Amino acid sequence: MLALKLAYRNIKGAGLRTWLNVAVLSLAYVLIIWHQGIFTGMLKHGSQAVIEDEIAGGQYWHKNYDPFDPLSYDESHGPIPAELTGLIEDKKATPILIRQAAIYPEGRVQTVLLKGIEPGQTILGIPSAGLEKEEDALPVLIGRRMARSTSLDIGDYLTIRWRDVKGTFDAVEGKIVEIMNTQVPTMDKRQLWVPLKELQKMVTLKDEATIIVVGQNVQGQRDISDWKFKDQRFLLTDINQVVRSKRISAGILYAILLFLAMLAIFDTQVLSIFKRRKEIGTLIALGMTRLQVIALFTLEGAMHGILAIGIGAIYGIPWIIFYSKTGMKIPQATEEYGFALAGRLYPSYSVGLVLGTVFIVMVTVTIVSFLPTRKISKMKPTEALKGKIS
Amino acid sequence: MNLVKIENLVKRYPMGKSQFTALRDINLQFEKGEFCGIIGPSGSGKTTLLNIIGSLDIPSEGSATVLGKKIEVLSHKEAARLRCRHMGFIFQTYNLLPVYTVFENVEFPLLIMGMSEKERKKKVLDALEWLGMTDKVDSRPAQLSGGESQRVAVARAIVKQPELVLADEPTANLDAENSYNILERMVKLNKELKTTFIFATHDEKVIGYLKRKIYLVDGQVAKDEVMH
Repeated sequence: MLALKLAYRNIKGAGLRTWLNVAVLSLAYVLIIWHQGIFTGMLKHGSQAVIEDEIAGGQYWHKNYDPFDPLSYDESHGPIPAELTGLIEDKKATPILIRQAAIYPEGRVQTVLLKGIEPGQTILGIPSAGLEKEEDALPVLIGRRMARSTSLDIGDYLTIRWRDVKGTFDAVEGKIVEIMNTQVPTMDKRQLWVPLKELQKMVTLKDEATIIVVGQNVQGQRDISDWKFKDQRFLLTDINQVVRSKRISAGILYAILLFLAMLAIFDTQVLSIFKRRKEIGTLIALGMTRLQVIALFTLEGAMHGILAIGIGAIYGIPWIIFYSKTGMKIPQATEEYGFALAGRLYPSYSVGLVLGTVFIVMVTVTIVSFLPTRKISKMKPTEALKGKIS
Repeated sequence: MNLVKIENLVKRYPMGKSQFTALRDINLQFEKGEFCGIIGPSGSGKTTLLNIIGSLDIPSEGSATVLGKKIEVLSHKEAARLRCRHMGFIFQTYNLLPVYTVFENVEFPLLIMGMSEKERKKKVLDALEWLGMTDKVDSRPAQLSGGESQRVAVARAIVKQPELVLADEPTANLDAENSYNILERMVKLNKELKTTFIFATHDEKVIGYLKRKIYLVDGQVAKDEVMH
């Protein structure tokens, strides 16, 4: 308590130098927390969108299915296992058949994935109910990005060409019945969603599927013969890795920011000890131990961090609350990243993030404040009283 | 009983490859309530001897026993405790803490001792009254004159009523009027509180007040004179 009281008096007496250091340090706190919140929001938001629109509670993949190998799609199909038909009937799972196809928007050929899905499914958050409409052509659901790239709109017709399981080419006319607004690019770009039964008929794969998506509340799924279960953790690997790599590069920025702030604190401490050597000698003469003097100077340095927390809270909390409520507009170009980001990104903050950042910065400030004070332990009080450094 | 006993004390400092002997064969004793001074020109070893008595330095040979404690065997912590509880220091350049007020400067030694706030306040105000500085409690050292600063330094030295006060050239930076003012107050403190004062000085104004004069020449006691 004594050291705290004395330390506070001393740094108050230092005036502008103290407040400049405090300002820089508070900026470091606020920027680190704000920036980290953006990545947490990105991950949370992206994960949520992918779970709602694409992976739900996990997916059963046919053994031949590899989403990164389009050549695998033709062999990636199999009868829906009996163990899962119950779940499908209870609307706790939904099968999806995936086949390659080609379309000709504006006279140009474009390869796409035809994805057959039950129109009445409720597992994925896509408007598949629109596929139940009675139409004069094959009802097709596409995403906003697909619509933009192909210049297709609701009511437009398009020719779809595919190969059935025997390798025979065929074609059909499709009609755009719905354009969905999904944040998940992998559910949108180069994909046509059609009724599952229709697709199974088209490619002569009755009652077969490529993947089966289970609902979020379904637990305890395991591999079944030709079907491998991929849980949420596995399916979110890409997003986690993208955010992790962004965090690493952001970490470099934090390190630079902190380094600059610590440099200011370190310089202040060195200067302080040099300027106040006579005072140090006096403090020892008055009965303070060297350790107490070291603790006093270390606390003075660390107190910059404490004051910075207070100052940072004054402008940082309103700033962070504002951004977490209003979000940040994401440029449209980020859709090309293949990352599930909406038009606005809402940062996400937690008590753990704030406390963790405060803890790391305070520990660093304290260590940096302590380092120059080691000189005091070697000082001769008789020399210090004369204003000399020994 | 001897407050301070110095036996065969030698103090050497390294100077390049050789050694400089600042004090040699010092044998002295100081009793409680003495008002004495170590007198000599610059470089005679007065401050060195005062620093050893004040446990800020240790002898190279011999021993210095202060208030029953051998200085040369004390740890840093024990020496600090000795200074904290039993000694006061007055410096030539006052050595007040610049960011603290007069009150806080005088209060400082009591804070280190861990005294309660109520007790500290009483003792500080008593000390400032002794030195006639009660109207300046909220002033900072930069706002004080030389004489006022030294009076605050004296108040700080005696606030805990130590057995021993060590004053190193306390009037060196003061004019004659302020010097006499300070010395009169110290004499009064010595009489009323029985505090032992040991000065290191070559100022004739101070020498005139001393009851015992110890002359140091080239690090040795040349004369030890008690005035009656």
